[in-house]
Amino acid sequence: MEALGQLIGGFETAFTWWNLLYCLIGVTVGMLVGVLPGLGPTTGTALLIPMTFGMEPVSAIIMLSGIYYGSMYGGTITSVLINTPGEAASVITCLDGHPLAKQGRAGVALGVAGIGSFIGGTISIIGLAFIGPALAELALKFGPPEFFALMIFGLIMVIGLMGRSLIRGLIAAFLGLILSLIGMDPVSGAVRFTFGEAHLMNGLDLVTVAMGLFGLSEILYGMENLQKLDKPAKVKGLLPRKEEWRPTLNAIGRGTGLGFFVGLIPGSNSVIPAILSYTLEKRIAKDPSRFGKGAIEGVAGPETANNSYCGAALIPLFTLGIPSSPTIAIILGAFIMHGLTPGPTLFQNNPDFVWAIIASMFIGNLILLIMNLPMAGMWAKIAAVPPKLLYPLILIISIIGAYTVSNSLWDVGVMFVFGIAGYIMKKLDIPMAPIVLTFVLSKLMENSLLQSIKMLDGNVLHLFARPISGTLLVLSLIVLFFSVLAEVKKKKAGFAGDVEM
Amino acid sequence: MKKIVWGLIGLSFALMVGCSSQGGQAGGQAGQAEGKKYPEKEITLVVPYAPGGASDSTARIIAKNMEEKLKVPIVTVNKTGGTGGVGMSFVQSSPNDGYTFGYVPVEMTMHKALGLSELEPSKFDLLGQATMIPAAITVPADAPYNTIEEFVEYAKQNQGKIKVGNSGVGSIWHIASTAFANKANVQFTDIPFDGAAPAVTALMGNHVDAVAVSLGEVKSGVESKKLKVLAVMSAERDKNFPDIPTLKEKGFDVEVVGWGGFVLPKGTSAEFKKVLADALKEAVESEDFKKFASERGMSAVYKSPDDFTTFATQQFKFFSDFIPTLDLK
Repeated sequence: MEALGQLIGGFETAFTWWNLLYCLIGVTVGMLVGVLPGLGPTTGTALLIPMTFGMEPVSAIIMLSGIYYGSMYGGTITSVLINTPGEAASVITCLDGHPLAKQGRAGVALGVAGIGSFIGGTISIIGLAFIGPALAELALKFGPPEFFALMIFGLIMVIGLMGRSLIRGLIAAFLGLILSLIGMDPVSGAVRFTFGEAHLMNGLDLVTVAMGLFGLSEILYGMENLQKLDKPAKVKGLLPRKEEWRPTLNAIGRGTGLGFFVGLIPGSNSVIPAILSYTLEKRIAKDPSRFGKGAIEGVAGPETANNSYCGAALIPLFTLGIPSSPTIAIILGAFIMHGLTPGPTLFQNNPDFVWAIIASMFIGNLILLIMNLPMAGMWAKIAAVPPKLLYPLILIISIIGAYTVSNSLWDVGVMFVFGIAGYIMKKLDIPMAPIVLTFVLSKLMENSLLQSIKMLDGNVLHLFARPISGTLLVLSLIVLFFSVLAEVKKKKAGFAGDVEM
Repeated sequence: MKKIVWGLIGLSFALMVGCSSQGGQAGGQAGQAEGKKYPEKEITLVVPYAPGGASDSTARIIAKNMEEKLKVPIVTVNKTGGTGGVGMSFVQSSPNDGYTFGYVPVEMTMHKALGLSELEPSKFDLLGQATMIPAAITVPADAPYNTIEEFVEYAKQNQGKIKVGNSGVGSIWHIASTAFANKANVQFTDIPFDGAAPAVTALMGNHVDAVAVSLGEVKSGVESKKLKVLAVMSAERDKNFPDIPTLKEKGFDVEVVGWGGFVLPKGTSAEFKKVLADALKEAVESEDFKKFASERGMSAVYKSPDDFTTFATQQFKFFSDFIPTLDLK
């Protein structure tokens, strides 16, 4: 109960005029950063740090963390409306968010994402406030072997996302795997598949690839049918239908848990809980075939998970001084610049400071919810703009966005290449989700596998001997077994050439 | 309608081609500017790493301080990729008119030996050094050894069993642990991480036994009593950690430090170089930069263009000799 008293004290600080203003500025900038493709939370916070030099430490961190969690709300908007993810965590939202928009339900997709983000965000802050320190110690138990096992689990779950045809899904997954191999080998430092191009040395950028595959290909594909297109569907409502509430809220609940759990793990990123949440929702859905065509849970779950991730990911920072993602590393830098040392001593030495930040996060999330619900309707109207006006606009936004990734035209070129590739894949009916999913997961997986092998003196079986990694790997095997079983059954049942998944 | 959209796509391609050809017009412009006041317009500072890291924040703070002296804006742009190679090559091929300069990390003197690029100090005009940050041998606070001697003794009895996390193959901190292992006659198992922060996290979780990353990166772990530093790898003891001995005083003749400095494209006029170097000196020696550096576990160290050139050339020679002896590839 002591914590509760301190939290109330924190609200007193957070409710001062200036801090409220900085919170508002932070979350608004965060929304913008999320909306603009290419400009992610990492860049957003980094660019604003110099502005905070003259500010009070509390106000500075309130503003910077506002950008951080605010961007998770904004990223959804472009994903849903123009199939172009605003930042990495929203890549998954394209899968069902955009189909919903095409059905004239963009308002619902954005509304549900806003509500889910608020619930996920708020609950994870409660976790940060009350059980954070205990959990942080637990998080340290996640070393490379445990992380590798988690990635295996994620990859196995992705099998459920293959789309209509298993073969085409596997082709896509394989493509993602190949793309992830481009760049420097994390262990030997050997340079692979760069063809002497320095830009490729660090590999391809996820957001650039996704912007091309999802956004640009959508334009190319849509332009073909520009004459034939029906009138854009009218935007209806912000809230799901009556019968959709229950599955949506369940998905939000599960997304909160998943995001929170993954947030604790150092070295993870906000794409992982979104992927896990999406695959989980698809797996447990009564009718998985709705996914990819506008399933509301496919938006609610991942959007909740990435916001829940944000709060939880601050736990290792506040309690151990560990930055678990690049954005948090920047916030850590800001702490240090303002003379604060994150770590176990932070709660003891600067309780006023910590509790004010936590309180401001509650306020920030509320501001975002208020901003997002009515604004969702406003944004959603964009989906009703005729394509011949919308497409050139999207093209310009995408080019600017790709350029901002690293201030070079290289990324614009990469986006165009993937845009054309995406267009061809749409023609061939190859699903694009497995590409980005294996791209994200296998990159992290390779890293942690190679680290694990070195740690365990080359004996991979030791992975099963560690409690956490062992459990996850056994779970993966079980899921794999049942997936195969279900597949075989389906094959027996239907005589179709394509395996429905 | 189709035509318009295709036209737009075509236009954007044309723009791309047009813009990318601008990079090539390097050199020869320095002379024209003589007699004019310098600087008269904004200056671009290229940082070869992503926003937010130690390199980026160092460069941005320096730029902010230099702006005040130069009375023109300094625009910082991040050109990432190729382990800093993309940004550094960009500076190398920029016009030497005094309006583009770049931040370079210690890796500038390592690239060639690592086979990453053909960059080396002689391809730039060196402007000055700003920071220095020594490597430090750090272990968990509850490790069974309390001094560097005990650690070496333990490592000798357990050859190859000590797992040392580094910040990536061929990174400065990987070189640091290998150089130390060579001098101490021990063998480590190197475990590469994607940067120093995850390596330190793995150390806190006891997944690795030691790291040789910079003092700044282990500072909060030490302050929270989860980690202890056994030795630093600089020539002198660190001001922030005066109790910690250097490897040199313990008889291991090895010194590996990270540093950051600034460079100009080759052939920039001496006059412009002096203006910038003076502004840089003032920025590095300012109180707020010193404070920033010390909070990040670094030291603000200024070296003049000449001293920095000598230093970087020595570093280049050291790494060119040392790196090929390591089994990195």
